[in-house]
Amino acid sequence: MKQIITGILAGLLATTLLATTAAKAADMVFTSWGGTTQEAQTKSWAEPFTAASGIKVMQDGPTDYGKLKAMVDSGSVNWDVVDVEMDFAIKAAKDGLLEPIDFTAVPKADLDPRFTTDHAVGSFYYSFVLAWNKGAVSGEPAGWADMFDLKKFPGKRTFYKWSAPGVIEIALLADGVPADKLYPLDLDRAFKKLDTIKSDIVWWGGGAESQQLIASGEATFGQLWNGRVFALEKDGADVGVSWNQNLTAADVLVVPKGAKNKDTAMKFLAAASSPAGQAKFAESSGYAPINTKAKAEMPADAVKSLPDAHVDGQINLDMNYWAANRDTIAARWYAWQAK
Amino acid sequence: MSVETRRNLGTVRLPAGFNGLLPALVLIVLFFVVPVLALLLRSVTEPEPGLQNYAALLGDGTYARVFFNTFLVASVVTIVTVLVAFPVAWMLAIMPSALASVVFGVIILSMWTNLLTRTYAWMVLLQRTGVINRTLIAAGVIDQPLPLINNLTGVTIGMVYIMLPFMILPLVGTLRAIDPMTLRAAALCGASPFQAFRRILVPLSLPGVAAGGLMVFVMSLGYFVTPALLGGTSNMMLAEMIAQMIQSLLNWGLGSAAAFILLVVTMALYALQLRLVGARRMSGGL
Repeated sequence: MKQIITGILAGLLATTLLATTAAKAADMVFTSWGGTTQEAQTKSWAEPFTAASGIKVMQDGPTDYGKLKAMVDSGSVNWDVVDVEMDFAIKAAKDGLLEPIDFTAVPKADLDPRFTTDHAVGSFYYSFVLAWNKGAVSGEPAGWADMFDLKKFPGKRTFYKWSAPGVIEIALLADGVPADKLYPLDLDRAFKKLDTIKSDIVWWGGGAESQQLIASGEATFGQLWNGRVFALEKDGADVGVSWNQNLTAADVLVVPKGAKNKDTAMKFLAAASSPAGQAKFAESSGYAPINTKAKAEMPADAVKSLPDAHVDGQINLDMNYWAANRDTIAARWYAWQAK
Repeated sequence: MSVETRRNLGTVRLPAGFNGLLPALVLIVLFFVVPVLALLLRSVTEPEPGLQNYAALLGDGTYARVFFNTFLVASVVTIVTVLVAFPVAWMLAIMPSALASVVFGVIILSMWTNLLTRTYAWMVLLQRTGVINRTLIAAGVIDQPLPLINNLTGVTIGMVYIMLPFMILPLVGTLRAIDPMTLRAAALCGASPFQAFRRILVPLSLPGVAAGGLMVFVMSLGYFVTPALLGGTSNMMLAEMIAQMIQSLLNWGLGSAAAFILLVVTMALYALQLRLVGARRMSGGL
């Protein structure tokens, strides 16, 4: 019996030691959503940062809000910088899950104020655009209202599956709500509008899925992240895109409360949000820089494909409204979807 | 340990080598029982002490629909899996053993392939512009694509495919144990092949069907990836809803309550099964 217990203890001890050495091998941990986005973040931010400072950055992922909360609650925070959606960041800051940003270490002057808060620095910003498969759609959709016109544009249309800023606003815009009267969102009206095309909606849960749906013609058109359309175009897919009333939203970088390498994390944020870091990332991802000086460091043709080139009629999704109403909207959203 | 439990343990008679099982037992208590208790605790303490999470789950139409969906999908999947697995298992049971081991190899090999890959493969096959619909349209059988994905059909096809080995393996064990002479005897007594099947083979194979069926049903109840990718939003199952509550809504109280309900239902089903089939016959079937 004694031997057994000793054995178990020895085992546990060995595991703990292993875990500690593994963590020691890196100086900080960066967590994002994986895929092409995180690859671009590694290349544009982490690698130059390590080269310049000697600080090793370990990549982890995907971002998981449940995990982040569990880490903070248990006081064992393994992530130092996390890429999250902006409405989540505002809510998480209110719930006490985030460290305030140390703006003496992170230069704030050139950061786009739309995507900077006390607890978050912009990661990149993007637009929801209307994209279509040229071979599958008859004619050229001109705006969100066309996504609700089953006569003119029959076939499946694809929207973002999760409760997040975007689809509700699109439904309201299509129903004739003026852009400056969107908020507070009229949920009844939005769901009524969405009901008219519900059986023709295919939902996409992740960026790769949205690309697959449009490229294969499984959905003839849909609401996509501009970076994913950019990647499709680069791959030579026959897609059309309308920037009419494109809707901006952002990912931001946050530091979880109690992060072990907080000071290092702030240095990383400074590098990631710098003009050079932002320019490099924007060039490889097609998402827009949150540093206003970044565009000057980018090639002219890369700048042309950014949401910044389509500010005419551009609408900023209201992250503060969403942060405050995230849970109530989500409850109605999923109930409506399940019906 | 009290005297009473000691006496109880005495009547159960600990199997030889019980001490060797202790590390496993400690592991289960530490990493399974304790977390489950923590989950239960969370479901009645977050955001405030009380049963409001359970009241919300049981009193809301949306959640009721998700519960209903979960059981509907698990039942349909179990029934279809039994129907598909039975002939395969019977074939395996009567095949020459060399050939049977090759077929077994193929079945096991499919279990080793990544679940996500297999589910994506089904997406490619089943979607409106997928292989099946294109072939049928080209052959002139249909002119509009069949709705095979983002609905119950898609979920059933994808899950039955994944569950088949879990049904076939216990069933083969049971079928092999059946004395072939019983079937011959039935034929000699004038039973038609169908009568022999219905009155001899089916009743004798029931322990295997029950063992495999329970395993498939319970695994289906907690399934996540396949329904999420091949089903539509109206086919949402409990596991997906729990993941949503925990990961994106951070409503851990409600998520824990839902998870605990799922656990209790699963345990209750298992207990029922033990009573109906009997623990010994079930383990014999496995």
